[in-house]
Amino acid sequence: MINSKNFRHVTNVCVSLLLLRCMTTEAKRNRAARIRVGKGDKPVTYEQAHHPHHIGHRKGWLSQHTSNLKGEDGAAERTVEDVFIRRFMFGTFHGCLANEIVIKRRGNLLNVCAVMLQKLPPQKFYFLIGYTESLLSHFYKCPVKLEIQTLQDKIVYKYL
Amino acid sequence: MASRTSKTFLSLGRINIPLLGLNKSSGKATYATALSINFSSGNKGLPDRGGRGPFVRRPRREAGEPRTGKMPVDQDWTAVYPSAAPFRPGSVPLPVRMGYPVKGGIPPEKKGNLELIKIPNFLHLTPAAIKKHCEALKPFCTEWPSALETDTKCDEHFPIKLESKEYVSAGPSLRNPSVRIVHLRVKLSSLNLDDHARKKMIKLLGERYCKNTDVLTIKTDSCPLRQQNYDYAMYLLTVLYHESWKTEAWEAQKTVADMEDYSWEDSPSQKNILDVLLRMKVAGEGDGEEVRQQLLGRKDVQDYKDSVTRLKNEGESESSMLQYKEAVKKVFNM
Repeated sequence: MINSKNFRHVTNVCVSLLLLRCMTTEAKRNRAARIRVGKGDKPVTYEQAHHPHHIGHRKGWLSQHTSNLKGEDGAAERTVEDVFIRRFMFGTFHGCLANEIVIKRRGNLLNVCAVMLQKLPPQKFYFLIGYTESLLSHFYKCPVKLEIQTLQDKIVYKYL
Repeated sequence: MASRTSKTFLSLGRINIPLLGLNKSSGKATYATALSINFSSGNKGLPDRGGRGPFVRRPRREAGEPRTGKMPVDQDWTAVYPSAAPFRPGSVPLPVRMGYPVKGGIPPEKKGNLELIKIPNFLHLTPAAIKKHCEALKPFCTEWPSALETDTKCDEHFPIKLESKEYVSAGPSLRNPSVRIVHLRVKLSSLNLDDHARKKMIKLLGERYCKNTDVLTIKTDSCPLRQQNYDYAMYLLTVLYHESWKTEAWEAQKTVADMEDYSWEDSPSQKNILDVLLRMKVAGEGDGEEVRQQLLGRKDVQDYKDSVTRLKNEGESESSMLQYKEAVKKVFNM
């Protein structure tokens, strides 16, 4: 009994020492999709600058389909398709994407909208667009259309 | 065409760097060979080096003015946006801005604005475009029949109304299991039923009958196909109709508790009022059947009967209670 009391006293002292010396054990902060404020030299797009709780208020939705409505099914399949399409586009147009991919579904049609930088000559772009469209159409058994816009440089919203 | 160019690129890559293999093919090497071999014919001035020599990037073509600068004011907008398409800043000659402004700033402009691309737009549905759609659809339309001008006429000629839904959703599959549900609605007044048949039908229907609108609704979803559900609904209607016309032997055992409407004859209320009136009357008149009949024939007793029947059937309301009060006062000469 005496031992346990001493032990508790010792551990309390140790804990308080720890607390004094290193960082405090605070509540966990959200780290999802957030670029933390830094020196002020990091250029950040509108999409990256706004945190996820601004979706619906200052940001729109990157993917739109009817499966998330009440009474509709297929939400999981659409989500998995979305994830694959984003990775595919990121890899195919490597280094050329200026911003996130926007995916719209209109009935059977899968519309992938992307804003790209003019890093490749147009012929390569056309080839990659055709390749993506045909490959994804065969993959998902539905017409896939790519709508690409190109920019000289990324649009900077602010510097963090 | 895309596949052909892809073959040429791949073949070039493979032929020219056989030892290094595709993984090692750095961008510069493949670009150099591809450019010099493939585009030498159409090139403006690059010498045909045959894949050797220092790599010179061909001059970058300047991006021209966006289309918005060359649009006349009276152009045909339906040609710019003939169908649903995402927002293209180079095709829409409007200085729109969208987004939350930076502190002390203004919303970001339309160039490269992802927010404008995210939202659905109706640029392809201007009044001019809709007019064109209507013009295109007109040859396939026929006039509404003149004999069906009003709703009542429609009900008269087509008393049975069938409802089923179609679903359009985003995804590769057309099928939706809710498509098989069929609703059949019919007004009981349009069916040929006598009093007994109507009461029996209402009892058979239970919850499917709405008293206020006199509409019977049959919802069928037990079969997998819509056609089967429709057939089943029509079969149910036919069976209900024929069954309600038949009178079974056990229907003779219907008690007062089974009655749908309250009827005053032979009810406790009649007995009570007659007893009270007899006791009120001067003693000596007797308690015979004729006296009861005479009492029943009196107008205030008839009014009392009406008010009680109304209260029991329609429920309590301001006017029915007032009517009951008046009738009671008259009967008791208050």
